[in-house]
Amino acid sequence: MRLLLVEDEQELASQLCKRLQDEGFVVDHAADGPSGLHFATDYPIDLAIVDLGLPGFSGLELIQRLRADGSRLPVLILTARQAWQDRVAGLEAGADDYLGKPFRMEELLARVNALLRRVGGWAHPVLEAGPIALDTRSQTVSLAGKALDLTAYEYRLLAYLMHRPDEVVSKLELTEHLYPDDADRDSNVIEVFIRRLRQKLDPDNSLHPIETLRGRGYSFRLGTPHRS
Amino acid sequence: MNHSLQRRLLIVASLVLAAFLGTTGFALDQAFRTSLIQAQQDRLQGFLYTVLAGADVREGQLQVPGDLPEGRFHQIGSGLYAVVLDDQGRTTWRSRSLIGQRLDLDRTLPPGERDFYRAELDGERLVGLAYGLSWEDPETGGGDFTLHVAESITFRLEERAAYRRSLWTWLGGAGAGLLVAQLLVLRWGLRPLRRVTRDLQLIERGRKDTLEGNYPREVQGLTERLNQLICSERERTTHYRNSLADLAHSLKTPLAVLRTTLESDSSQPPSPQTMEQIERIHETVDYQLGRAALAGPPHFGESTRVQPLARRVMDTLPKTRPAGPPATTFDCPGEARFPGPEGDLMEILGNLVDNACKWCDDRISLRVDWQAHGRGWLLTLQMEDDGPGVPESARERILQRGQRADETRPGHGIGLAMVSELVANYRGKIQIDRSDRLGGARFTLTLPVNT
Repeated sequence: MRLLLVEDEQELASQLCKRLQDEGFVVDHAADGPSGLHFATDYPIDLAIVDLGLPGFSGLELIQRLRADGSRLPVLILTARQAWQDRVAGLEAGADDYLGKPFRMEELLARVNALLRRVGGWAHPVLEAGPIALDTRSQTVSLAGKALDLTAYEYRLLAYLMHRPDEVVSKLELTEHLYPDDADRDSNVIEVFIRRLRQKLDPDNSLHPIETLRGRGYSFRLGTPHRS
Repeated sequence: MNHSLQRRLLIVASLVLAAFLGTTGFALDQAFRTSLIQAQQDRLQGFLYTVLAGADVREGQLQVPGDLPEGRFHQIGSGLYAVVLDDQGRTTWRSRSLIGQRLDLDRTLPPGERDFYRAELDGERLVGLAYGLSWEDPETGGGDFTLHVAESITFRLEERAAYRRSLWTWLGGAGAGLLVAQLLVLRWGLRPLRRVTRDLQLIERGRKDTLEGNYPREVQGLTERLNQLICSERERTTHYRNSLADLAHSLKTPLAVLRTTLESDSSQPPSPQTMEQIERIHETVDYQLGRAALAGPPHFGESTRVQPLARRVMDTLPKTRPAGPPATTFDCPGEARFPGPEGDLMEILGNLVDNACKWCDDRISLRVDWQAHGRGWLLTLQMEDDGPGVPESARERILQRGQRADETRPGHGIGLAMVSELVANYRGKIQIDRSDRLGGARFTLTLPVNT
């Protein structure tokens, strides 16, 4: 998953970036409104974390411009203003959630994960599809109740696909969303990870959770989430 | 001595009016009396000459032998009398009108002197004129005599009484008319002041922003100053709130940095004491600064329409619920008003709705009621959800600062405390019980609104 953090407080931004990267996210950082808007519109971002008080133009305006362009990018507002007015105004502008400063890191991660889930229509933090259960809180996957041993990349790949059930996801999209820009991008690596995932998720070759659409990409097709 | 302006002016003006009319009446009465006396004296003088014209001395005594031109001297009890005394005070002649009656007069005057006097005859009041004269006649001899002419003034007294009655009737009527006119003038003159008072009340209730319209020049200074005062009070409150919000804002970002820095150092996890202190600072900033910024009902009140704001809150906050937005019911009459600024209502609604979303299963409901109550209105906000509800033992507790019903849920337990405090500031009540319709918690807030 690729996150955009728009925060002008350098110290806080670098701490957050580091922590989010530790959690397996690819993170882009912008320190002002205009560059935040640039990232949000021109980069393959899955979710934006936006501080309301920004130089250039405010986070509120950033969200308004983004929505005016027709973007449906999930946005989480960070605000040091406690007043409900700012939160309501932010949500009216098109944000999806808010978090007041200072916050616990766990709270931020929970909100980010919840927002990402909501895009795929998952209500519960545990994404269940047939015998496969992906727990976004502990970042673990189980098959018919038994824990699977997945690497961090395997987990991120599966999580990305499961967050977009029935959607066709190209290899390019997967590399863009799972690797930072400066990483070595080799589409063969994706194929290798997909093969390993299939082996672990479907040892009997009976479930076929990940479908390959030749020339187009992959799609997770195993049960629709319980949409709320 | 704290009478209303109108009463003061009325009392003073009435006293002045009474004094003026009294003096006028007295003066007119005196003038009339003087003229009456003057006229009476002239008449007596005339009668005196009439008597003298017919007088003659016989046997050393002054007599009036023939008929006098004034017939009333000859009618008994006519009210016009004449008597002649000699220098010894003996009666030498009396008019026929005095027959059967005694008019005891013994005053003699030296020749040439005159005197007006009052006398009484059988209860009848008389005014008399005595005149001393010396009669010289070569044939019949002469001597000194005193001639009295007296006339009853009963008729004059009646005339005067009638005059007085009419005088006082007119003066009283004029006085009453003036009082009424004065009352009307006062009411009209003081009307701008009453308007200022009424407008100030409207401002207090938030129905008006400033004292508008044309006031008389004398009041204009006052209203302009009042407007300035109201403006500066509003500006000061806004400035104060903004400063507090800025202060909270500027404290929170460093606090966030501090917390993430401590949390992100994986080699050395932060000590629980450190995190607890940070949590305390955070809570204090949120609660104390938040509370100070929500000053409660303003002196020069703004009031806020509930419906648009409540709709905004109900349209936005529920969609942030992690498990997806709950089904919402919203019902609010358009005329409902909150007796304070928007920020305070937002704080109340934000916390209530946020709390309901946090605890609900999948349904929340906000119902607003607006009812006439005494001389004002009663605003009722009812927030319900279908969650587990608040156990009876915790109902008091969760309205206090830093108390949470469930320690495992996020939040630091100041939202409802803030609501409770705000409601108390507005002299309202908050009640927590079980929702009949949804089965979960029901928060009922009642706020009196004076309009």
